[in-house]
Amino acid sequence: MTDLFPFLQAAADTAGAYHAFPVIGSRAATWIAAEVHLMFAAFVLGVPMFAVITEAVGIFTKDERYRERYDRLSKEFTRLLLVAYSATAIWGAVLVFFLTTLYPRFWNHMTEIFQLSMWIYVGLFFVESFTLYLYYYGWDRWNKGRAKYWHWTLGILLNVWGTAVMLIANGWLTYMMSPPAGVTAQTLPSEVGLWNAIANATWMPINIHRLIANAVFGGSIVAAYAAYRFLAARTDEERAHYDWMGYVGNFVAISTFIVLPFAGYWLGREFYEYNQQLGITMMGGFMSWLWILQAFLIGVLFLAGNYYLWIGMGRIPGAERYRPYTKWLLIILILGVIVWSTPHTMIASRQELEAMGGSHHPFLGVLGVMSAKNTAVNLMILTTFLSFLFYRRANKRPVAPWAKQGMLAQWIMFAIAAMVVLFFGVYGYFVSAIVRIGFSVYQVLAVLTTIVVVTTLDIFLLRGAESRGEIRWGQMPERSQYALFILAVTFTWLMGLMGFARSGIRQHWHVFEVMRDTSPDAVTPALGYASIMISVCVLIFLGLVSFIFWLSELGTKPAEAHAPAAPAPGAGPATAPAPGD
Amino acid sequence: MWRTNLKIVGLVVAVLGLYTLVANSIPQLQSELPQAVELSGDVTPEQLVAAGERIYNGAGGCTACHGLGTRAPNLLTDEGGTGTIGARCGSRVAGMSCKDYLYQSLTEPAVHVVEGYQPIMQDMRRTLPADQIWAVIAFLESQGGTIDVTADDVRSAQQPSGGGGAAPPAGATASLDPREIMTANGCLGCHKLGDQGAAVGPPFDGMGGRLTSDFIRTSILNPGAAIARGYEAMAGVMPPTFGQQLTAGQLEAVVSFLSSQR
Repeated sequence: MTDLFPFLQAAADTAGAYHAFPVIGSRAATWIAAEVHLMFAAFVLGVPMFAVITEAVGIFTKDERYRERYDRLSKEFTRLLLVAYSATAIWGAVLVFFLTTLYPRFWNHMTEIFQLSMWIYVGLFFVESFTLYLYYYGWDRWNKGRAKYWHWTLGILLNVWGTAVMLIANGWLTYMMSPPAGVTAQTLPSEVGLWNAIANATWMPINIHRLIANAVFGGSIVAAYAAYRFLAARTDEERAHYDWMGYVGNFVAISTFIVLPFAGYWLGREFYEYNQQLGITMMGGFMSWLWILQAFLIGVLFLAGNYYLWIGMGRIPGAERYRPYTKWLLIILILGVIVWSTPHTMIASRQELEAMGGSHHPFLGVLGVMSAKNTAVNLMILTTFLSFLFYRRANKRPVAPWAKQGMLAQWIMFAIAAMVVLFFGVYGYFVSAIVRIGFSVYQVLAVLTTIVVVTTLDIFLLRGAESRGEIRWGQMPERSQYALFILAVTFTWLMGLMGFARSGIRQHWHVFEVMRDTSPDAVTPALGYASIMISVCVLIFLGLVSFIFWLSELGTKPAEAHAPAAPAPGAGPATAPAPGD
Repeated sequence: MWRTNLKIVGLVVAVLGLYTLVANSIPQLQSELPQAVELSGDVTPEQLVAAGERIYNGAGGCTACHGLGTRAPNLLTDEGGTGTIGARCGSRVAGMSCKDYLYQSLTEPAVHVVEGYQPIMQDMRRTLPADQIWAVIAFLESQGGTIDVTADDVRSAQQPSGGGGAAPPAGATASLDPREIMTANGCLGCHKLGDQGAAVGPPFDGMGGRLTSDFIRTSILNPGAAIARGYEAMAGVMPPTFGQQLTAGQLEAVVSFLSSQR
């Protein structure tokens, strides 16, 4: 009987369960609506995070020059949000209309369980939108004294509402992947408890993963915006401001991106714990090549991120002393990308197996395993951190009496971390899989500890340091700004790819092992088709975002024409601190 | 400015094109839908092998683990010098024919876990009808061995009683004997009970003295809810599907049996 259930369920589906969308089909239409909505949602959740942080820096800094600069930056972030909110809501409405008209049976199932949360969601979105309007339009009115603190509180509230909205929506989508254990195909939706459905096995890991990813995504889009304004700038002052803004956006994106894989590990582990089959489908089933593509994309991110830093050092007096090291850093990164994107345990046809003479290629057997890959990625993170460290201290000369010992300690930390990573990487080849998995924890801990300790030491080490010269903000070659575009496009594409992985592992289920997808599009497509869909979604999103940015610029032009000139590089953004100072 | 705009658009399109090109250049695999494979009562061995190969590569989901060299033994290629599955299946268990060995491996996988691997395979009767299991066996036998699955096996599997073919999973039987239920569901593949079972999960011996009935019930229905100390590395191995496999009566029979183990 159990064997037959899926087939009986399929047969019982009536023609009313699905409706067709013209030309591109229901799946493609819903895919685009969901993905573009999600990209906008990530943007409007990510940007307020550092809008409120930069505003706080402006409020609490003791240096008057920085106060105005950070406040302006924060307001500029917020201005980008206004139209983006409308776009998010519009695409959300499109998605709901597609689901209700194209997948009515599925939609009925979801609304029966989640209707209360859907009403709360709408209410929160309403409150969130009006908080944003108050936050932005009240900026100049509530800019002094106690009123400024109230204004900042509005920014915090904006983040609270946005996060609550995200948590609710995550409950819906994670229910589709990991419905509670007691819910089966025979369970009536009305019998499923709302909280039980929301707080399912993958809800919290997705919440954390998305929260971090939104900051990464928001940072990269803001950096791309700044890059565009840099390229379009007509004055040195403008160029200096947008050079600095691009740097801040990129710093936020890369620094938060470094912790994202750890949230990803947790999510993956929850998939395995919930259902072995889901985990195996994700990592080793028909999706196995997806992770090679992911490695390639992350390789591009590492290379472009470091390239931007290295070029940026050209505008920092004193950075010349680090230039000889750049080629070595580049070599480590390239070797890391090669190892990380080496396929190993891939599904192969019988002919391919015979041609290789085994389950994996003899050349790739050594490099394609987790030991080598974990070693590669940890060394890449260390290398990127080292690049950032060079950048940060390029124009500074420490004056602390313990400076020499401090720097020696930092180098020793780097060396120890690299040795720990290499040791467990090599040792991993000689132990069983279950022991090897545990080694990745030691590698990650070594790298994270080094990042935290070295950064802390650096803050004290450079306190009161002599300047070797001011950063010449704005004096950046144009090609550096194109690296920021590559980063934004790659982050956006990567988000689409991971969305496909998360959603695709359900395979032919709307709700995993509860409601079968019996539509003509029930087969989860191969990566080639998915990549075309992702590229289309990214193009639509970037096209609309560009339009929104143009609109926001259009609305401010008359005001800017009468605004006082921005500070000159020497006294203006040129002296702005790098994040982390 | 238009030149800059064009440069940016060109760059964006080139990056998207590159990623799309790379994604289309690697092997294209899509998930397969479970489909009913029609097998008539007078099916030939060749037809059985062909059907078995389709199921093996598709709806059976076998390739998710077999053939990767890490999660499960290779079947179509050599495994540790013992040859392909058709060549080695007859000598895996003394006195057991290849056909019987493969049948039991598919329907009670916990009984024959190959050394060095985890007992993660499920009872294939949960996903494949009985006649399709025989088709898969025929395909596996064809990998270096002799095909002795016949149309009779398929015919008897297609009988309503399933006599001689694959029996329905334990969850569908009416048995309320806890030992029988636990054996049929492969519990002893991981838990020790007396001199039976393996030490992958916490032992059943003395379980009633260590855990309450409610805790045991929750752990069966949702194995990830709490992981016993010392077994953290095995988290995720136990399938969370017993709530669907067992009837309420069977679940209670197992819970009360385990609670009585002191």
